[in-house]
Amino acid sequence: MSAQHTLTIQTRHEAVAVERLLQVTRYRGFTLAGLELKPLADVSGLLITLSVVSDKPISLLVNQLNKLYDVLNLELHQAEAGALRA
Amino acid sequence: MTGAELVVKLLTEHGVHSVFGYPGGAIMPIYDALYQSPVKHYLCRHEQGGGFSAIGYARASGQTGVCLATSGPGATNLITALADALLDSVPVVAITGQVSQAVAGTDAFQEVDVLGLSLTCTKHSFYVRDVADLADTLREAFALAQSGRPGPVLVDIPKDVQLAQVDYQPLHLTATTAAPDCSGLATQIAAARTLLQQAKKPMAYIGGGVHMADALPELNAFLAATGMPSVTTLKAMGSVEKTNPLYLGMLGMHGTQAANLAVQQTDLLVCLGARFDDRVTGNLKKFAPEAKVIHIDIDPAEINKLRFAEVAMLGDLKALLPAMTASGNYADWQTHCAMLKAQHGWRYDHPGERIYAPLLLKQLSERMPDNSVVSCDVGQHQMWVAQHMRFNSPRNHLSSGGLGTMGFGLPAAIGAKISRPQDTSVLVTGDGSFMMNVQELATIKRFRLPVKIIVIDNQRLGMVKQWQQLFFAGRYSETDLSDNPDFVSLAAAFAIPGHSISHKDEVESALDAMFSWPGPYLLHVRIDETDNVWPLVPPGAANHDMMTDLPQWEE
Repeated sequence: MSAQHTLTIQTRHEAVAVERLLQVTRYRGFTLAGLELKPLADVSGLLITLSVVSDKPISLLVNQLNKLYDVLNLELHQAEAGALRA
Repeated sequence: MTGAELVVKLLTEHGVHSVFGYPGGAIMPIYDALYQSPVKHYLCRHEQGGGFSAIGYARASGQTGVCLATSGPGATNLITALADALLDSVPVVAITGQVSQAVAGTDAFQEVDVLGLSLTCTKHSFYVRDVADLADTLREAFALAQSGRPGPVLVDIPKDVQLAQVDYQPLHLTATTAAPDCSGLATQIAAARTLLQQAKKPMAYIGGGVHMADALPELNAFLAATGMPSVTTLKAMGSVEKTNPLYLGMLGMHGTQAANLAVQQTDLLVCLGARFDDRVTGNLKKFAPEAKVIHIDIDPAEINKLRFAEVAMLGDLKALLPAMTASGNYADWQTHCAMLKAQHGWRYDHPGERIYAPLLLKQLSERMPDNSVVSCDVGQHQMWVAQHMRFNSPRNHLSSGGLGTMGFGLPAAIGAKISRPQDTSVLVTGDGSFMMNVQELATIKRFRLPVKIIVIDNQRLGMVKQWQQLFFAGRYSETDLSDNPDFVSLAAAFAIPGHSISHKDEVESALDAMFSWPGPYLLHVRIDETDNVWPLVPPGAANHDMMTDLPQWEE
């Protein structure tokens, strides 16, 4: 059964970081449900909120996104983080 | 110095003595800097050949391979090699020239978005906007290619950056070689030891990650101490010492019967640097159905990706294998595995006078020098190499595993020879694969590289034809290659001597002639187009449901 997940991701301030996030999301079989981004206050990076839908475990996407060079920090929203650990 | 000169300076800084590539407009400053530099450039005859040569160089030596290409078509021709390197975790740094930033984004001559094209087939790709960032970027690229799970990294350098002036700042590093540390995994290590002690039928499933972690001594000590039988993936062949009596060979679609049957019966699968690839598991839901799993890998994304692990450890196998060594009472299981191995051994008493490729490859394996590195292509011959040749190191068996790229073999054999000039480089290829990068014979000619080439010719795209025969009602769509060129004459056009054989009593003398010839040599071997690769796990089947057509599987 499909579930929606929301990730908060901090990346380097590079357009290519967004390209890469979207590529991995598509390739790993997750459907884009929402995307917001804005530069951090000190313009040192981007803060991205990514919502996805899939019937696959969200850990599969989290693990792949965490490997990306431009991803500096990634958090699954708290309610879902518990489910990820279970 | 210019940015281009800085590129060459940084190559030497990283100990790069050999690079593979092809010049063109947008990378001319770098080629000018290479001219009479200490870095030896090997001109390949297609950028894909340069990419695969860099892979062969890296896989045979453990060092990072470097390839160069110009913008546009030069860079796009590298893409297949980059994808191959990504799927097989090979450290490669690709440097591409790019059009000057003044015309970037205007669809300029030979301009293509290399950064965008390459992102999905590299660990990361960089575009250098400012010459002041060039040194840090290249240093980061080399570090990234070798770190964690190795892989390819691309650095795209616009021509204006190559021409800009910059100062070289040496990198001052304090040498720190930290010992592998697994102290944070005490709980998992204890759990793994408990599983090993409780198991009755454990099996080590060994992947390419073990030798890439430089952990072969620890692996073989672990196998000896535990008495655990083992199987390997295609990429890990040569990891287990030849003297180990409980090594059952390769598992998977064309694995040995003993390996597949034992894995299906195991109660504890110890997965070491492998990834449950579909060519290994067959029907995933039916793979090792009774087994608990211990999975150790350096890549967190591989843990629980395809198979749940009761104990998972992210870390360095070199430290973890000694730490988790424990044993139980496996005597009955060892006896059973030894029986499977004896019961399902290969037979080579093929009737008739024609050449039977599995026997030829066994003879090759026995006659080639111990220091030989064997590159192969993709298809039936590739699986026969895996089944019938034995290797004493994974660095001596170069095979395109994850991507399965026809055309890999010849340039990989070139790269292997250049990285290990004192060792023998042997290419085993098929008539289909050989033609995909045949232009690299010119590279062999130019540098007089003594690569030994064996073309196993069934005048077919054999593996595709086999599947057409088995699963597509014998409808042989576009797999007839009976109009192949005369391969010996083709080699002669590149000043490479050769010989053609078609009878099995010609094999030994032909192999001796090939190895005794001081230079490159092509041995053309005609085989029957009806020979197929067995066993075969059909699509969707479990690994114990192997098709075994030939009587070699019956005692």
